[in-house]
Amino acid sequence: MAGFSNYFRFILKRERAVGLTWFVCMVAFEAGLASVFSGMFSDAESMRAMAFTMNTPAMVALMGPVYGLESLTPAIIMAQECLVWFFIAAAVMNIFFVVRHTRADEELGRHEMLRALPVGRLTGAASTLTGAFALNAAITLASALGLIALNADGATAAGAFAYALSIGAVGFLFAALTLLFAQLFSTPRGVSGAAFAVMGVFYVLRMSGDMNGNALSAVSPMGLGLKVQPFWLNGFAPVVILLTEAAVVAAAALAVCANRDLGGGIIPARKGKARASRFLRGEFGLAWRLSRGTIFAWSAGIFALGATYGAAAGTIDQFAAGNEMFSKMLASAGAASVADSYTAMVFAIGALLCSVPVINIAGKIRAEEKRGRLEQILAKSVPRERMFLSYIALAFVTSLATLALMAIGFYIAAGGMKPGALLTAAFEYLPALWLMLGLTVLLAGAVPKLAGLIWAVFAYAFAVFYFGKLLRLPELAAKLSPFGYIPQLPSQEFALVPLLVPALLAVAVCAAGVAGFGRRDVG
Amino acid sequence: MATFEIRSLVKRFGKFTALDGVNMSADAGEVHAFLGPNGAGKTTTIRCMLAILKATSGTVTLFGRDAWKDAVELHRRVAFVPGDVNLWGNLTGGEVIDLFLSMRRAGKPDKARYDKYVSLFDFDPGKKCRTYSKGNRQKVALVAALVSDAELFILDEPTSGLDPLMEKIFQDSVLELKQSGRTVLLSSHIMSEVEKLADTVSIIRGGKVVENGTMAELTSKARGKTLEELFLSEYEGAG
Repeated sequence: MAGFSNYFRFILKRERAVGLTWFVCMVAFEAGLASVFSGMFSDAESMRAMAFTMNTPAMVALMGPVYGLESLTPAIIMAQECLVWFFIAAAVMNIFFVVRHTRADEELGRHEMLRALPVGRLTGAASTLTGAFALNAAITLASALGLIALNADGATAAGAFAYALSIGAVGFLFAALTLLFAQLFSTPRGVSGAAFAVMGVFYVLRMSGDMNGNALSAVSPMGLGLKVQPFWLNGFAPVVILLTEAAVVAAAALAVCANRDLGGGIIPARKGKARASRFLRGEFGLAWRLSRGTIFAWSAGIFALGATYGAAAGTIDQFAAGNEMFSKMLASAGAASVADSYTAMVFAIGALLCSVPVINIAGKIRAEEKRGRLEQILAKSVPRERMFLSYIALAFVTSLATLALMAIGFYIAAGGMKPGALLTAAFEYLPALWLMLGLTVLLAGAVPKLAGLIWAVFAYAFAVFYFGKLLRLPELAAKLSPFGYIPQLPSQEFALVPLLVPALLAVAVCAAGVAGFGRRDVG
Repeated sequence: MATFEIRSLVKRFGKFTALDGVNMSADAGEVHAFLGPNGAGKTTTIRCMLAILKATSGTVTLFGRDAWKDAVELHRRVAFVPGDVNLWGNLTGGEVIDLFLSMRRAGKPDKARYDKYVSLFDFDPGKKCRTYSKGNRQKVALVAALVSDAELFILDEPTSGLDPLMEKIFQDSVLELKQSGRTVLLSSHIMSEVEKLADTVSIIRGGKVVENGTMAELTSKARGKTLEELFLSEYEGAG
């Protein structure tokens, strides 16, 4: 492990921008949300109402089981609402961190230069792991101290540490897992793909375990992390288990790392074809080849999501019947049927997720440009508009495919629902997806330097949907989101105008983006 | 008619003037060397010729037609090799060559030519691009360009990363192009390559062409100095 301390310091130096940004954001949200939540509830009654909403199957599926009903505090409600999202954010942070310092470096040939120095075979992997541990530990400590300092309602010191530790432990386990994948797969894409797939599996296991109250949720690190029940049980045993799991996985990763070639993987890269197939011809063939992985992976993921929520739909009425308080609440609200409001909420979240591959594919031309590959294409007899429209067409197809698969997955797993109505409810979101598509095209085509802004729009849409009602944001805030106009079928009424407006707007911005792209400098 | 002709080409990026009135042209069957220090504007000029960048003012014509307006049509007759070949890691070299050829839209490429250049450059087209070295990535673009039956070859430092054996094969290939009446614009830093291949030369410095003429004229101007020494003095601006 020669050169460990130098290597470790080098990683810290490279992390001063990205790592520091994650640190600041994670700590700000982990601690800062406490004051938002403590200002949200006027009395115990409003907290109880919130908890009952949280105790609906959709919410349990999304965010895990409700606890501490006997003596609710704003801190407990915050943990229930936010913890699982912090697990995901921490997992994403750790996956990117480890890939950045292992396989990505190795593929770009940077690791080779470091290894030529007096640096041991395991030094890179061990320093990366230590770096990830330090980052998670720093976030954990700062968040816990921040929570204590803010002294929010119900946020005890033990609770603050339990809360922050559960996030840090789940995050570090993902760092160890990614380090293992970095030894097995020979490309950064393969590594992060595997890590994100495992994250998805863990989430689904937790969902299934939490809904059926079985051991599956303890198998999933996310489910295990939720069992800490911060500000209530403050159980530290799950944290110990998570860290032990991380240690075992990390040891396995280092063992593999010690015995492999630089640049090699255990799962070999496939040998390719010497000639292009008939499909890989012209600009559409290229766009398809570069997008098909995204399209297939997201289609499968969205289908699984629809099926998972669909499977839960059958038990909803039963759940409501067994929960007197819950059924009373629904009756007093005069809402549509329980199943309908559940479906509407699932589809709204699913549609938001469907916009991710749509944005990704519509914006691919900008990614190609930044990587210096587009100029070679444009040096051929390729009209710029046609190259761009190839990606746009694929993004359009993706919007149809993902929404349809979400509805179909839901239909198959739920059973006994009308397929036509489900498909209509899903396709209602098409105009919103198209508007996201159009905005992506406008930014990438006409103002390429601001292309990344589309993710701010996405984050805004997500935040407004998720926190809008919680924070009682004004109506205008919701209407600024591309998703804000869509009536939530089947619990709300169908209306044509709110669909036509974003659809027409989408066409207009799309046209402006393509026209702008035809006129500007590339590269 | 000149194969390509650039008149008073100006290109600004915001306040920065990258090209400040570039003039350059070449006729059919001519190898025109395009020299200059890093950052002088060679690649920017080439990008304007290929309609990747839009000229701020001045005219660029290929085969007598506007390089920006008629780009798509003109590119059927043009082959391009960039100095830094960025490829798709998950496509094979062979797939990229076929893709590039299909995008030229100039009919089916000649199988014999394809086989000839793949074997000349000792290139394995079945490997994923991410596994290629710099030299092998360069070969992808070179083979795709040479297989295409273009009339104008725009080569921007095409041999960076090639070994001396491949460099020799490249030079032979360019001489073959010249003999069959093709026009070549060759941006290069390798003086021996330029001496051997070029008929005419333009030297660019600070966005302006500072020297322009035939190789013979330059050689006589060198007066005892080697060409390398002459270029060095031109690059430094002392010449």
